[in-house]
Amino acid sequence: MTIEKKISNESATLIVSGRLDTQTAPELENELDSVLSGLKELTFDFANLEYVSSAGLRVILKAQKAMNAQGSMKLTSVNDSIMEVFDITGFLDILTIE
Amino acid sequence: MALHLIMSASYNALLAILLYILDKKTAFSKTPYKLKQFIIGVLFGLMAIFATTTIGGFDIGDGTIMNVRDAAPLCAGLIFGAPAGIIAGLIGGIYRFVAVFFGLAGIYTQIACSVSTILAGFIAAVLRKHMFDNKKPTWLYGMGIGMVTEVLHMLMIFFTNMDDAVNAFEFVKICTLPMVIGNGLAVGIAVFIVSLISREKSGSKKDQKQISQTFQSWLLICIVIAFVATSTFSSVLQTGMSEVQTNKTIEMSLSDVYQDILDESNSNLLKKTESIKEEYTGGAELQILASKYNVIEVNIIDENGYICDSNVEEYIGYDMTSGEQSNEFVTALLEGSESQYIQDYRPTSYDDITFRKYGAIKLSDGGFIQVGYDSTQFRADIDKYVKTVSKNRHVGNAGFVAICDENFNLVTYRNDFEGTELQKIGITFDPETIKEGEIFESVVYDKEYLCSYRFVEGYYIVGAMPKYEAMFMKEVSVYVNTFMEILIFAALFVLIYFLIKRIIIDNLRKINKGLAEITNGNLNVTVDVRSNEEFASLSDDINQTVGTLKRYIKEAAARIDKELEFAKQIQYSSLPTVFPKSNSFRLYAEMITAKEVGGDFYDFYMLNDGAIAFLVADVSGKGIPAAMFMMRAKTVIRDLAERGVEPDEIFTIANGKLCENNDAGMFVTAWLGILDTKTGLLKFANAGHNPPLFKRNGENFEYMKARSGMLLAGMEGIKYRKNELQLTPGDTLYLYTDGVTEATDNNTELYGEQRLLDFVNSLEKTEPESLCKLIKEDVDKFVGTAPQFDDITMLALDFDSIIGDESISVVPDSDSRIAVGAFADSLSAKLETQPKIANKINIVFDEIYANIVNYSKATLAAISYSIENGKLRISFTDNGIPYNPLKAAEPDTTLSAEEREIGGLGIFMVKKMTESMEYEYTDDKNVLTLVISLS
Repeated sequence: MTIEKKISNESATLIVSGRLDTQTAPELENELDSVLSGLKELTFDFANLEYVSSAGLRVILKAQKAMNAQGSMKLTSVNDSIMEVFDITGFLDILTIE
Repeated sequence: MALHLIMSASYNALLAILLYILDKKTAFSKTPYKLKQFIIGVLFGLMAIFATTTIGGFDIGDGTIMNVRDAAPLCAGLIFGAPAGIIAGLIGGIYRFVAVFFGLAGIYTQIACSVSTILAGFIAAVLRKHMFDNKKPTWLYGMGIGMVTEVLHMLMIFFTNMDDAVNAFEFVKICTLPMVIGNGLAVGIAVFIVSLISREKSGSKKDQKQISQTFQSWLLICIVIAFVATSTFSSVLQTGMSEVQTNKTIEMSLSDVYQDILDESNSNLLKKTESIKEEYTGGAELQILASKYNVIEVNIIDENGYICDSNVEEYIGYDMTSGEQSNEFVTALLEGSESQYIQDYRPTSYDDITFRKYGAIKLSDGGFIQVGYDSTQFRADIDKYVKTVSKNRHVGNAGFVAICDENFNLVTYRNDFEGTELQKIGITFDPETIKEGEIFESVVYDKEYLCSYRFVEGYYIVGAMPKYEAMFMKEVSVYVNTFMEILIFAALFVLIYFLIKRIIIDNLRKINKGLAEITNGNLNVTVDVRSNEEFASLSDDINQTVGTLKRYIKEAAARIDKELEFAKQIQYSSLPTVFPKSNSFRLYAEMITAKEVGGDFYDFYMLNDGAIAFLVADVSGKGIPAAMFMMRAKTVIRDLAERGVEPDEIFTIANGKLCENNDAGMFVTAWLGILDTKTGLLKFANAGHNPPLFKRNGENFEYMKARSGMLLAGMEGIKYRKNELQLTPGDTLYLYTDGVTEATDNNTELYGEQRLLDFVNSLEKTEPESLCKLIKEDVDKFVGTAPQFDDITMLALDFDSIIGDESISVVPDSDSRIAVGAFADSLSAKLETQPKIANKINIVFDEIYANIVNYSKATLAAISYSIENGKLRISFTDNGIPYNPLKAAEPDTTLSAEEREIGGLGIFMVKKMTESMEYEYTDDKNVLTLVISLS
């Protein structure tokens, strides 16, 4: 998994590629911890993300909770497999996906 | 004579039969047409010569030979052909002409006979050619032509001997009937018998009469009626006219004689009266004067019309005005200004019984002198004169005038029969019943005469004319008229028929011929008969109709083409074109349709248990029916295959279903294989299809020799054989339809199975797609510019590997994740044809194995999978602490982000992704088995 960050003032975009699974989820969690403070807008670009496991979901949920308190969060370019996972787990209702 | 006639007539028929049989049954028929016509012409010419001799013809008794010479050229021309007729006519005619100089035939009819024989040949030729369409006529026409020709012959005899009309006419009268009948019979019999032999019913009779035949019949009827009517009319007219003529001729002679006698009698009496008047002095000398001049009466009449003096005393004092007869004198001489008046011999007014002839001359004193005498007295004076008047008088050519007195005693007759009674020479008549000038018949010296009489001055003047002379002109007129009419009407018949034929029938035939070609499908024919406006417009109408028809057909064809194209597209689109991606096999198929919609198809589909079914089939026939049958066959087979039925059983059932309602009698050949991709076992069945090519890895292609079953839909109750073949990785199978092996080049040579085999074995690479494309290219190269007649369909399958059961054992630490991930990836790759399988496998492996690593404290873990009946079973085994994930609480997925608990989602997701999960703890091990359904 690779993470690319684009931060400007109070908004940040994280471009996540590869697999977001049990192994790689902590890495994304660390990145988020470093950018979340004072952030008003958070965007996940999942164009190149192949797979999300429950560990990944956990991180995404955590980020969503944080952003609900201080601004807004959205996901872009989510592929079908991941959408299915979001669907099964009820995440579609709580996430903003473009 | 009748016997002779029939015999003569039959010679021609004999020759005709002989030649006809020769022509139909022997090698003579192979003789060239011209030579044949010449031979037949010459033979009939000889027949004409034979007919001229005393053997071929027959004597009618006075040395005149009757013959049927004209029949020979007629038979030759009508039965065998125009040239033969002309040749026979010329031979017969020229012989007849020349024969005269050798004393072999009479000179009297030389020209007429030879010309008519030559003409007969030409008549036959022209009629056959223009009236009978170069076929022989019916026997009735044959007879008619024979008779008419002979009438012409007779007429020519008469006309060539006009200077001897009476004899010529007598000759014609005798010959006409036998010769006309003889020739008519000769031709009629010949045509009739030949028709019998050829078993043609008189001419070209069909079920329906041709216009020309109907027309011929009606025209013939009309002509015959017209002929009978005009002949009867002219005959009646001629008879009437000849009667009038005869009357006139006799009357003319009679009135001449009448007038002469009357004049002579009058002048005789006037002379006597003049003399008596000269000698009369007014005295009583009347007696003397009467006896001197031999008269009965001499009367003197005064100016008042009374007889004042007479030699007959009782007349004195008679009032002349009291009687009609005597008053005529008063009227003429006293009241009128006549100086003399003469009365013809008649009864007197004074006394009805007494006949007198009176004459009178006016006297100077106002009265007149009247002299009367009776027949005996004046006959003495004029008999001599009467004799001279009648003696050399002819009535017509051979008629005569006879004069007799009141008692029918002849006064004068040709041979001085004076004194004998009139009835002695055969003439009797009663003046009471037969009026003057009326014609009556008498026989004078055995000869029939037509007679008439006039009465004058006591004489009966009888004029007589021989009946034959009176009738001669009439008969000649009637004969010539009739003959001419026969000829004219015959000519008219032929001419009208010919004209109608030229103008209508020939044109109709032309049009019919054109129409026949059009109805036979040649719409490019145009009818072009422009001889008159009606036919031109008919031709135009037909051409226009055909043009419209052509346009409609073209439009319809275009529409049908469009619909067929559409059908082709539907058919085409029903074939799968997305090929499964699998590690275990590669498949490629292609169908190149010919111009028409055909019945080829291929099909493939994954079955539940990881097997793939594939088939190639060819429906009999082309077009929409074939396409529809193809759809039916395809659906039936697919339906059965998807229900898990074995190939042989699929065909057995499909055959039964396709046989139902197969009224069109269509059938389909098919080759169906079902490959178990896990084991490489190929089960297949062949229903009459071309044997596929099969290649073992590293070996050459060979045709699969397995025995084929009956084609599908051909017969009910067929059982198909079960075939099995174990594939090993690298094996290749190539299915095709006969569009490949039966592709033909411009020389109609077939591509053929051997060429296909040689070609595929020459290839280095046999990847399914490239194999199909290379074969197509080679077929195209072979075919060249020849059109593609049949669909070309092919399917190739390359078997790569078998998915077997796999397992992995690991020490569950974080480093082992990579190996487990790779294991999961290899499984995903094997099942790459399954949709979204990779995601499921990822989730299952990731979540379950993460739990084992993170929470189980196990020191050993194993993962294995297997595929069975379309289900993927994955088992996770570990020796960690007992933990049943199925009992874990499910997270509430409806809560908001803030309310959500982190955790529990992993197992939840796995549950969602799998069909079932089983957990058991045995032998100190957790065993979690998950089942994922494969499509």
